[in-house]
Amino acid sequence: MINKKGIHAAFIALAMAGSFMTAAPASAAGTLTVSSPQDPGSWDPVDTFLVNWASVATNIYDGLTYRGPDLKLAPGLATSWEELDGGKRLRFTLREGVKFHNGEPFNAEAVKFTFDRLLGEEGSKGPQKSNYAVIEKVEIVDEKTVDLVLKAPDPVLLTKLAGYGAMIVPPNYIKEKGEDYFNAHPVGTGPFKFVSYEPKVGIKLEAFADHWGGAPKLSNLNYRFISEPATAVAELQAGRVDLVIPPTIPIGMIPTIQDDGNLEIVTSPGPTVYALRFNTRDGITKDPKVRKALILGVDRDTIIQSILGGQADPIASFQGKLSFGFDPAMKPLPYDPEQAKALLKEAGVAPGASVQIDVRGNDATFNEVVQAIASYLQLIGINATIKPYETNVLLNDIIPAGKTGAMFQQSWGGWTLDYDNTAYSMYHSGEKWNPYDKDAELDKLLESQRSITDRAKREEILKQIANYAADRALEMPLYNLNAIFGVSKRVKNFAPVPDSRLRLTDVTVE
Amino acid sequence: MAGFLIKRFLQAVFVVFVVTLTVSYAIRFTGDPALMLAQGAGSVTEEDLVRIREGLGLNQPFLAQYFDFIKGLFTLDFGRSFLGGTPVSQLIASALPATMLLAFASLIVSIAISIPLGIRAAVARGKWADQTIRILSLIGLSFPNFWLAIMLVLLFSIVLKWLPPSGMDGFASFIMPALTMGIILTATNVRLVRTAMLETLQSQYIMVARAKGLSESKVLYKHALRNCAIPLITYFGLQFGGLLGGIVVVELVFNWPGMGTLAFDAVASRDYPVLQAVITVLSLMIVFVNLLVDIAYGLVDPRIRTE
Repeated sequence: MINKKGIHAAFIALAMAGSFMTAAPASAAGTLTVSSPQDPGSWDPVDTFLVNWASVATNIYDGLTYRGPDLKLAPGLATSWEELDGGKRLRFTLREGVKFHNGEPFNAEAVKFTFDRLLGEEGSKGPQKSNYAVIEKVEIVDEKTVDLVLKAPDPVLLTKLAGYGAMIVPPNYIKEKGEDYFNAHPVGTGPFKFVSYEPKVGIKLEAFADHWGGAPKLSNLNYRFISEPATAVAELQAGRVDLVIPPTIPIGMIPTIQDDGNLEIVTSPGPTVYALRFNTRDGITKDPKVRKALILGVDRDTIIQSILGGQADPIASFQGKLSFGFDPAMKPLPYDPEQAKALLKEAGVAPGASVQIDVRGNDATFNEVVQAIASYLQLIGINATIKPYETNVLLNDIIPAGKTGAMFQQSWGGWTLDYDNTAYSMYHSGEKWNPYDKDAELDKLLESQRSITDRAKREEILKQIANYAADRALEMPLYNLNAIFGVSKRVKNFAPVPDSRLRLTDVTVE
Repeated sequence: MAGFLIKRFLQAVFVVFVVTLTVSYAIRFTGDPALMLAQGAGSVTEEDLVRIREGLGLNQPFLAQYFDFIKGLFTLDFGRSFLGGTPVSQLIASALPATMLLAFASLIVSIAISIPLGIRAAVARGKWADQTIRILSLIGLSFPNFWLAIMLVLLFSIVLKWLPPSGMDGFASFIMPALTMGIILTATNVRLVRTAMLETLQSQYIMVARAKGLSESKVLYKHALRNCAIPLITYFGLQFGGLLGGIVVVELVFNWPGMGTLAFDAVASRDYPVLQAVITVLSLMIVFVNLLVDIAYGLVDPRIRTE
């Protein structure tokens, strides 16, 4: 087994010493080389949920809707849409004159084929289907109009149509060439078309001049799969890679890149939020006063600045600031050990009481964080023991069965960045991730927003849910981790994305 | 010879059986591949996981899965990667040559350095050249290979910008990985060559050769080296087998698209079929190399052939 820590340390030390080196040679004009940590193995939209599928495939495919780095929904292959039947039917007007990379026309047939495939036999083999299960069927109204008929209104569906399983695929191409061929030779309507793919090595794309949004500014886009962070950074320093995308660069390697005059670190808040959730059913954390005391007793800002190198934002509820449902008026509880001690006293908790914190053993950064948390708790008279688990054991056997200690790690984040997904899974009675709490009022709030398609109204309820959960101190909200990109300075117009769905149409290289 | 080959073949079958069974069983403790595939999915229901497991054939009992795998071996069908469904044989077909080439290049580097140095050390026994070579090889022996790899990358890729830091892309890309593996092998090989040579140089036929008035290089390279070739070939051969297995770290640092990287990725993503296939192929190769070493004996030393 490789000693990654050792490698990083050696690399950082030496790269700092050698950061005086001369400018990197530029590669061929108009070609951007990207280092991605994982080969998803298939480029078929229905096959995977790996974020590094999206960081490539967002350039190859389009969805009916589009969502860029600003996370605002915009027209994609559909120019407009309307809700009918109280939100149970979505009618899309399709963009005209769009062609797939193989010349096949995009039309209502292609939309129907895409969703029939996703929800049918082929989609059943992969993980994507469940995210679109609300779609009952697709009805073609005419060549340029198509209806998605839903089992129930789903306010998040329009977002979901902008990514992953909902990417529109070419019917004739797949029927002619077969599924296996399509996995390794993707064709879509996106701004870059597929050139070649070498499993475990890389994938090459080139500009699709006929894209409906205009031709991309780059002529070629090369992705290389490099999983070892030290290697990816060495390639960046050597000038053979222009962009290293997350999740690759660990916080400890940021200075190496910052000290290199040709490189820079660009970050965006990522989708993942971290919290220590409480056992609200048994022990001392049953009492909301105790839970609040524990939150007040931990200096989360200092943890972010010291352990996380400032690459995270403190959070007040279990969501980041880019999440739909985020309430900017909510502020994290301050660090106040005196008030914490007073609250503990009030709750009748004697100094020296103990709590157990369950964490994922393989999450090295979080293990450092939780050790700091344990020290802070010590200062307010709570003895915390940290219990590391194998991730899958914690996720499958311990949390859902309600066998955790007083606190347990939860890291959460979906690409839709909609608080509904988080809140419902964490707080609704009977959900897999909510083994301890039952709250009829919270259940009602959670259910009510699921059928509302009015965005403003729904956002209001989501904010209400966030405040309600914070009032009850259902978890100790910790932070929202940044997505970290290492970028060569020859790259211009690069906008980091929070959700790995990179579309590199505006990027240029010197 | 035929009896010998049959015995070796049966041994190989047994080894592969034990290795595959152990690996197939052990990898199933790393966790659920279905969860891995569904990571990033907002909320995954139990039904989703059951459906995905069925699609991967994981709903079958372990022995049924194992025998499917063994059955596939006979037709070189290793199944499909859990990650994206690429046929595993296709992944192996591109990774195996990459690893073989690297292992071969490393061995060449090592032999090219260690034979002349080892002979020099043996001839100069006890003198400063011998001492220097022995100390150098001790230093070489104590290098962790990933550290050496990183030093090379820093020097040749980042500071001097002469060589590509990673990937397999032409002759230049072989230099650093082969040097890394080669230098570490050299450390042991120099000592081995030295010891073998010392023994041989004391033989009477060397005295005879010298008495005949042959040049020193002829004595060393024609008479002495040939006679100590047997232990060396054995060792280099076994080393080649060991190289195939021990190449993971070096492949990872250099992002070499070989069996080591394939195995590492497979463990990380719980890709059972890929890991099973990689281990099986590597163990087959090691068994095969051992066999070749035995045959090579016969070629170098006629006494073994006629026995």
